[in-house]
Amino acid sequence: MEKIVIAGVEINRVSIRQLLFNKYMLLSYILLAIGIYGIYEVIQMRYFLVGATAADAGMHPGTHQMVTAMKDAVFGEGGEVKREAPWSLYIVNYMYMIYTGSGIIFLVALDEILNLQIIKKTAAGFLTFGIAMVIGGLFTIMVDLNSLHMLWMIGSPNFGAGMWQMLPLYMVYIPFVLFEIYLLITKKGGWVKSISYAILFLSVIIDIVEYYIQANLFSLNEARHLWTTYPWLTLYFIISAYVAAIGVMGVYSFFTYRKVLKNEYHTLIEVIRKTAVITITLLAVYEALAYLSIDKAWAFLILFGPFKYLFFGGYILLAMTIPYLLLFKESKNYMTTLASIFMIIGTYIGRYIFVYGGNAHPMSDRFGTGFEKYGIYEKFTSFIYYPPERAEVLVVIGSFGVILAVYTLLNKLLSVSKIREH
Amino acid sequence: MNYAMVLDYQNCINCKACEVACKEQNNVELGADKQRIWVGQTDNVIFGNLFVNFYPSQCNHCLDAPCVDVCPTQASHFVEGGLVLVDQKKCILCKGCMEACPYDARFVDDERVAVDKCTFCYDTRILKGETTTACQATCPTKVRMFGDLDDENGDVIQLLKQRKFFVLKAKEGTVPKLFYLVPENDEEYALQSIGHNNKIYTWDEMSPIIEAAKAKRSKQWKKS
Repeated sequence: MEKIVIAGVEINRVSIRQLLFNKYMLLSYILLAIGIYGIYEVIQMRYFLVGATAADAGMHPGTHQMVTAMKDAVFGEGGEVKREAPWSLYIVNYMYMIYTGSGIIFLVALDEILNLQIIKKTAAGFLTFGIAMVIGGLFTIMVDLNSLHMLWMIGSPNFGAGMWQMLPLYMVYIPFVLFEIYLLITKKGGWVKSISYAILFLSVIIDIVEYYIQANLFSLNEARHLWTTYPWLTLYFIISAYVAAIGVMGVYSFFTYRKVLKNEYHTLIEVIRKTAVITITLLAVYEALAYLSIDKAWAFLILFGPFKYLFFGGYILLAMTIPYLLLFKESKNYMTTLASIFMIIGTYIGRYIFVYGGNAHPMSDRFGTGFEKYGIYEKFTSFIYYPPERAEVLVVIGSFGVILAVYTLLNKLLSVSKIREH
Repeated sequence: MNYAMVLDYQNCINCKACEVACKEQNNVELGADKQRIWVGQTDNVIFGNLFVNFYPSQCNHCLDAPCVDVCPTQASHFVEGGLVLVDQKKCILCKGCMEACPYDARFVDDERVAVDKCTFCYDTRILKGETTTACQATCPTKVRMFGDLDDENGDVIQLLKQRKFFVLKAKEGTVPKLFYLVPENDEEYALQSIGHNNKIYTWDEMSPIIEAAKAKRSKQWKKS
């Protein structure tokens, strides 16, 4: 294929048709279309919901808008955001995409430092998929936030807030990882080679900082004890992200390297299998110890309450037990792929339980005599759970389209999935 | 100035006049879930006797407020008098403050697409020279008393010096400024409406906690 070389990077000269209308891009368009419909619903709900105040009721009695607003005020579901459970599927997906993408980047950097040749050969592809996942996560959170006010992140920053720290973090993180990919795909010259190890170490440090900031985001919520009593939240995020990342790497390898690597494919799968066994073991031990120290009000809801089927039947079984049984002995390659699929689903459920579980214990037991109703129309509840809105599910589906589109475009232009000898 | 509120909560008859007055005075969005203040309710049975407790509540304007710490744009901020307010034009709807609040005192105003909460009627009454909040002014049984903790001769301090009281979720360490008075008459029976884990304070015990939290945070109090 004809190439254009810019700053040492070979860019494929592909036609618009090859670039934008290949089967992967077409699939991403379908997913993106679903996501865009979700965004449309979000905008409708967020910016065009008819609300009313007492003054409106006095000034415009009997108008159609007033009737609609009053009907929604009395019989509605309380608008887009639930007061008792403000964080929902957006945060689950954001966490999953960002942490898993960063996990892939983190693991690849570690493997490169450990001089694992098979990972070195495939690193550019893994890193690109990792950064595509990070971008998919950011897409989700951008839909969740009120973008019309985002300029205040710069205009009125609160440097200590975990939420604000995301801004400089990703402004550094994404270009940094792109630079790492650049180093991998460029024809290495003198200075590039000399800094590559320093970049790898820096990459590991940035990843740890990222997980620390993410942990800070949750642990500042003092009254949500699932998040504040989870021991060493930074470490938990890293270990659980490893399991999810290895799952994604397993499936990615199946689709990308199964035919290309030929005999070496088994070597790659073996690295993934062994890493999976180690990380699953770490996560299992971590969870077992963690639930000894998590506030019992939250721990009981998850372990023995309404979340128990999701926790044991979803998270523990799919993310850990089944993959461990499939992987603890060397076996056929497809077993690793199968285990990877289970790990992806299981760890997603794990994130779901983490976010929804954090809100599951009502804050309304303020007097210590039991949970309160807030008002005459409110329900008395000892467990808070609101299933995700349809718009949220659609946006999450759209985020998969973002990942696929970003990765496919970069791969078509830069051949990041090509095997590279270093 | 260090604004606070004392609540003689056992006087509450759940007439909800305070909720209505708040919505009217502060132009709060209508809806059961959109309340700056509310009357919580628990039903329980002790030794076969059914009883209902009414718990009037709102934002506690905590001196060590976690909602201010988590806000990425300083939309949630302190102002003079130690009040916690939301600058709605800066709110990016991250909902971090709602997660951080131990009292579920915040909600999303769907008309302004921003988080809303009790202001102690700061902009609608106090800055205009009123000395009471709308909820206090309208309460038929005198549940609420708004005032200044720095005013030694004020009614609030005088009341807190005379009566025992407690604050909500003291263990969270947010130093809330809604002070709930322990009922005077038939105290033993009335204490059934308070959890056993709630610490009962006197003003001498609470005062140093308030002062320490104020010293820590008052640098962040913005001039209005």
